Amino acid sequence: MIPRDFNRALLWVCAAFAGGVLLHIDRMPAWAAGTALLLIGWRVWMLRARPWTPPVWVRALLALLVTAIVLARFHTLNGLSAGTTLLMLMAALKLLETRGPRDEVVLIAAALFLLLAACLDRQDLARTPLYALQTWLCCAALAGVAAPTLSARESGRLALRTLLVAAPLAVALFVFFPRLPGSFWAIPREGQALTGLSDSMTPGGISRLIADYEPAFRVKFAGEPPPVAQRYWRGPVLHDFDGRTWTRRSWAQHPRPALQFLGTPVAYRVTLEPTQQRWWFALDLPARAPSPQVTLTYDQQLLSAEPVSDAVSYEALSYLHARETGELSASARREDTLLPSGANPRSRALAQSLRAQAGSDAAFVQAALNYLAGGGFVYSLEPQPVGADMVDDLLFQTREGFCGHYASAFADLMRAAGIPARVVTGYLGGEWNPIGRYLVVRQSDAHAWTEVWLQGEGWTRVDPTAVVAPERLRRGMIDLMPQSFGASERLLHASPWMQQLLQRWDAANGWWTEKFVKFSFSTQLDLLARLGIRSPEARDLGWAFMAALLLWLAALGWHMGRNARAPRGDALARAYLRLCRKLSRAGAARAPHQGPRAFAAQIAAVRPQLVPHVQGLLERYTQLRYAPPGPDHAAAVLEFRRAVARLSLRRAAPA
Amino acid sequence: MNDAASPPDPAADAASLGRAVEVLETVILGKPVQIRLCLACLLARGHLLIEDVPGVGKTTLAHALAQVLGLAWQRVQFTSDLLPADIIGVSVFDRARQRFDFRQGPVFTQLLLADEVNRASPRTQSALLEAMEERQISADGTTYALPEPFFVVATQNPHEQLGTFALPESQLDRFLMRIHLGYPDAAHERALLRGGERREILAGIAPLLSPATMLRMQRSVRGLYVADALLDYVQALIARTRSQPELKLGLSPRAGQGLIRAAQAWAYLDRRSAVLPEDVQAVLPAVIAHRLEGREASARSGEELARELIEACAVPA
Repeated sequence: MIPRDFNRALLWVCAAFAGGVLLHIDRMPAWAAGTALLLIGWRVWMLRARPWTPPVWVRALLALLVTAIVLARFHTLNGLSAGTTLLMLMAALKLLETRGPRDEVVLIAAALFLLLAACLDRQDLARTPLYALQTWLCCAALAGVAAPTLSARESGRLALRTLLVAAPLAVALFVFFPRLPGSFWAIPREGQALTGLSDSMTPGGISRLIADYEPAFRVKFAGEPPPVAQRYWRGPVLHDFDGRTWTRRSWAQHPRPALQFLGTPVAYRVTLEPTQQRWWFALDLPARAPSPQVTLTYDQQLLSAEPVSDAVSYEALSYLHARETGELSASARREDTLLPSGANPRSRALAQSLRAQAGSDAAFVQAALNYLAGGGFVYSLEPQPVGADMVDDLLFQTREGFCGHYASAFADLMRAAGIPARVVTGYLGGEWNPIGRYLVVRQSDAHAWTEVWLQGEGWTRVDPTAVVAPERLRRGMIDLMPQSFGASERLLHASPWMQQLLQRWDAANGWWTEKFVKFSFSTQLDLLARLGIRSPEARDLGWAFMAALLLWLAALGWHMGRNARAPRGDALARAYLRLCRKLSRAGAARAPHQGPRAFAAQIAAVRPQLVPHVQGLLERYTQLRYAPPGPDHAAAVLEFRRAVARLSLRRAAPA
Repeated sequence: MNDAASPPDPAADAASLGRAVEVLETVILGKPVQIRLCLACLLARGHLLIEDVPGVGKTTLAHALAQVLGLAWQRVQFTSDLLPADIIGVSVFDRARQRFDFRQGPVFTQLLLADEVNRASPRTQSALLEAMEERQISADGTTYALPEPFFVVATQNPHEQLGTFALPESQLDRFLMRIHLGYPDAAHERALLRGGERREILAGIAPLLSPATMLRMQRSVRGLYVADALLDYVQALIARTRSQPELKLGLSPRAGQGLIRAAQAWAYLDRRSAVLPEDVQAVLPAVIAHRLEGREASARSGEELARELIEACAVPA
């Protein structure tokens, strides 16, 4: 016997609310999530007893306190994470005074809002089942509150059935509800870590990134992918060097060089993971900006007007080779040969002596590369620390480092000899996914290389890492330096079938992102065009949605009406009702209260010509329905059904 | 009794039942439905209440029934000074044997015609009603079983008339059916006026059935197959009377049982082995009209309510 005070609905509500909290558990300060879960646990523990309700001034004080703490931690109450945290804590406090269905509905609304916030925050394939589960949980809780007499199983089934009925409408909303382009839905997300490359490079910066196995972007090529050693993905270009750190100056403006592209272009589609930064990545060298909101800078970077806060997908076009025959402008030359005075004196002397020996700039570049190749330099992700004169320390003492060190040192040598040089950061390589036929570029593929200005050639890519560690060009970091990755990544990578599983999962994720997360206004219009609407626009989407809505309502109405008209009967009842419908169309409708004999008498009165066709059927029905069932009852029912199906009154007795 | 030796023959029983109907129709002119309802009531082992104004042939019908069915019958004219002992019987002291002997009253018969039952005092009425329900009499600590079959055919005048005690609902419920005879139509009334005295015709009726046949037929009626679909329908009807706000009381389970038995009897009279919704509908007004009461005084009669109930309740397919 369940005690009178036992409240099954509240248990559902607590479960739904806990689900909402758990969806945010990794994005939320631990103290906030912990407080909420503790309060939920306390309320479940007190489910059977009448819980103690703190006096109203205590509750008011708690609410103020929570607001103050959130304000102190986030410095705002606005935005996704601060707002979500505040809402969650307030809802948890609501548990202190939950007394009736009204309070329970408020808590379910909070749980639904937490679900919505989670959907805005992340849309991974892996989280989709969690969101579906949470939706179901909230619906079941609503059912539990609305009908407290339902058993847990019934509430769950009711919620599931309701969601299934609503699913077609959700699909219609997804497909046809106009997705207004722009950042209408975007919510400020403060406090979220920037990921990927940044606009500065310190010696340790890239090594931190390299241990990150997360995908940075995925690339699908229209034709054949470029050769492995040519997969340089261009990101931020850095010009300013202080002897240790390379930075990018955002204000510099120089005339755009007249590039002469060589060879055939490579067309591809990039799906970029959110970085909260403004760069878009393209294969070296991008030929044009892929979107109106992105500019192609003078140093061939793709720079977006807005930070990439959601996954973005774009078509790009690149050439693997280009030449620039003109002169470098004086201002650009000055900028890219500038060195901090007094820094790295030994390297400067080395550069000047090498330049003196070499006949030309090109020969000097080769000589510097030879110096790096033959100097016993080691590629290492954990080099010994370098001091303020990082280039001198690297070249003459530690002799170990990774791409950032070598690119930095090489650009320094070039500038020391008066050759314009700059550091380009980005990614190198990528992992080919044979299942999805695309390239995954991970954060661990982060790379830095150098570009030098050679008269008659223009900016030329020189990758000093390629001479120190030539295998880096062909292999990913995880093959090269597995020890710098976590155990789970190494394990996944080591077993071929695990790797294949991983690739499948990644392909599924890519498909999900492309088909669902990136389903946009333009995709909607394309869909309409494919449905046969010429020059579709937003209004057509509205009409299409209205049509889908009406269709759904009609289907729902038809289904409910049919259920109301005839409670689900057995095969015999269905066949009899079918016979009645046929007779009704022939002009002899059965009143609901008429039994079969009365109906037969009525047919004889109003449509005597029908009697020979249906008399026997009605008698058979009467026998099957009301007489004691014989051994061949099922067969007789089947035969009756067939006879009803065969019956055609239009042909037999035209009205 | 005398037929006990002859083998039970359902076809012969049905044939004699058909003849009985024909004969009754020659006595009570123009009332075929009421005649069949009376027979159905007796076949269903129920007691019958005939309600109408004086002089429309209530007593004649009851008399004819007893005659045709070959039953021993007694008639009691109910008056306001009738005592229970006048019906049940009385214990008389036998001087010779020095003990009390129970003298059986008129109730010890197979068909008791209780004329103008609503003229008797409630006490007498309830004595009769007890006998009807229990089919036995208790007097001086001894229980006497009533003969089999045992029917009560009661007649009553509408209780607006002077000097009557209306039967309470609990006692009305013990009558399986209540029927009205009503005035005959013009043609039948003319035949009635032209024809001879009814009592002479009655005297000339030979019994067509016997108590043994009657019992056998009652058993056959009770054995008629009732399909689940029919039970669904009856339950729907009953449930509707209980949920209808304009009714003071819904139908009792006893009314439901009676309804099914009466429908079985109706199907038997029609010589069918299956009980149909139409059978239920045919007997429904007679079975339930006296058990239904509208909430308002000016409400429709029980028969009207019963007809509305039939039309409002769908027959399951």
